[in-house]
Amino acid sequence: MTEKYAFFRGCFVPVRLPQIEAVAQKVFSDMGVSLVSLDDFTCCPEPVGVGINDKMMWLSLAARNLAVAEENGLDIITVCNGCTYTLRHACNALNSNTQLLNKVNETISDTGHEYKGKVKVSHFLEVLKNEIGIKKVKDAVEYPLSELTIATHTGCHLLSPREVMKFDDPFDPTILDDLVAVLGATPADYDMKTMCCGWTLMTYGTREGAYRLLGDKLGNMKLAQADCLTVVCPQCFYQFDMGQWIASRKSITRYNLPVLFYLQLLGLAMGYTLEEIGYDSHKIKNPAFESKIRMR
Amino acid sequence: MPVSIQYQEKDKLLQKHPKIEICLKCNTCALVCPVTRYEVGFSPTNTYVGNVFSAPEPEKNPNIWLCVSCHKCEEICPYEVKPPKVIEALKEEAFEKGYAPEAIREEINQVLTAGYAFPIFQSLSFINRERTRRGLKALGERKVGEIKKIAEKTGLESKMVRVRSR
Repeated sequence: MTEKYAFFRGCFVPVRLPQIEAVAQKVFSDMGVSLVSLDDFTCCPEPVGVGINDKMMWLSLAARNLAVAEENGLDIITVCNGCTYTLRHACNALNSNTQLLNKVNETISDTGHEYKGKVKVSHFLEVLKNEIGIKKVKDAVEYPLSELTIATHTGCHLLSPREVMKFDDPFDPTILDDLVAVLGATPADYDMKTMCCGWTLMTYGTREGAYRLLGDKLGNMKLAQADCLTVVCPQCFYQFDMGQWIASRKSITRYNLPVLFYLQLLGLAMGYTLEEIGYDSHKIKNPAFESKIRMR
Repeated sequence: MPVSIQYQEKDKLLQKHPKIEICLKCNTCALVCPVTRYEVGFSPTNTYVGNVFSAPEPEKNPNIWLCVSCHKCEEICPYEVKPPKVIEALKEEAFEKGYAPEAIREEINQVLTAGYAFPIFQSLSFINRERTRRGLKALGERKVGEIKKIAEKTGLESKMVRVRSR
């Protein structure tokens, strides 16, 4: 088991969702894994805006980030699907292609960094499942969440394209469900499970479209008796929290379905309080959910 | 499937993505596309086959920017056609020619000037107050100088100036 990782926090978590950064540090440290935040990291960079429009810039900036971890002798752990997508694409392209690696290194040479092609990038779910192991996660559970039915949303960019991401089945993902079941909770079997959260529609499409999507998805979770939902990506989190809050004020039914980052749920099962996992920062709060947590 | 004879870049596109010609327009991709379901004017089939390949300047079609690159269409396509690859190639061309929407240009500008994917510096003190409350170290500036050096090398820096002056 790797005991120390370079913690690639990305942009969204440290800026808008610091409670998730704090809970990640705490949970992994309690599991015997230390996460080292390196100040030299920049934006991964974001795949849909930067990545598509300038491939060379995308690869080069990503390579610089990989080099920063490599210089510190560490592999990378991420808490965001987008960061994982970018960095894994870069690893895939660079770790096996010397010609491209040389070209990219030439591009970043003025920064004083050089990437040698040795870094491995893991999303924290992969670390929990493959490195720490489901058994050890189960052993860490002191207060099973047996009262809860939880809808899981793995998100798009951790699953696809599957030949690059190599994580789970894009149309029938089960890993997050397994990790929810290990906490003692029941994963909700709901329709539209692999539908996007709608975050990028907010930026590149229309808000109305994104809100309708959100309403349909939350409605299906509610039909499956979910008490809350869980995500593994900060953009999905923001969409289901802030997005749900705004949408329920004007265009969709009030579902009041709290969203928890998977590490927050794990924290609750390990015995942290709602305050300790940063629930006070959430926009969507539900007393019925809170009382089930206090009963655990 | 008809490919526009007027579209100048089509040979380049076809050479790079030969599977384009295999598309049967079976519409399986549209069934799993979140954008098709919730927005007007986009489906991988229509935007990519109908609209894109029968138009003389498909890169000008504003609907290509609705694609969220979730890759669901390419995962489900029975013929491995990979629509996002082509839509992304068109976006790259559109960006180069200055047709990208402002949101995209601004985002790239943010990454180049702040090292973050969205604007934060107007509210840094608020963010750091939140972080301190959670026991986290305050955020500082990112290595923007190094990003600038890379952008100069890749040509993105000058591309941004060109795009903005249009």
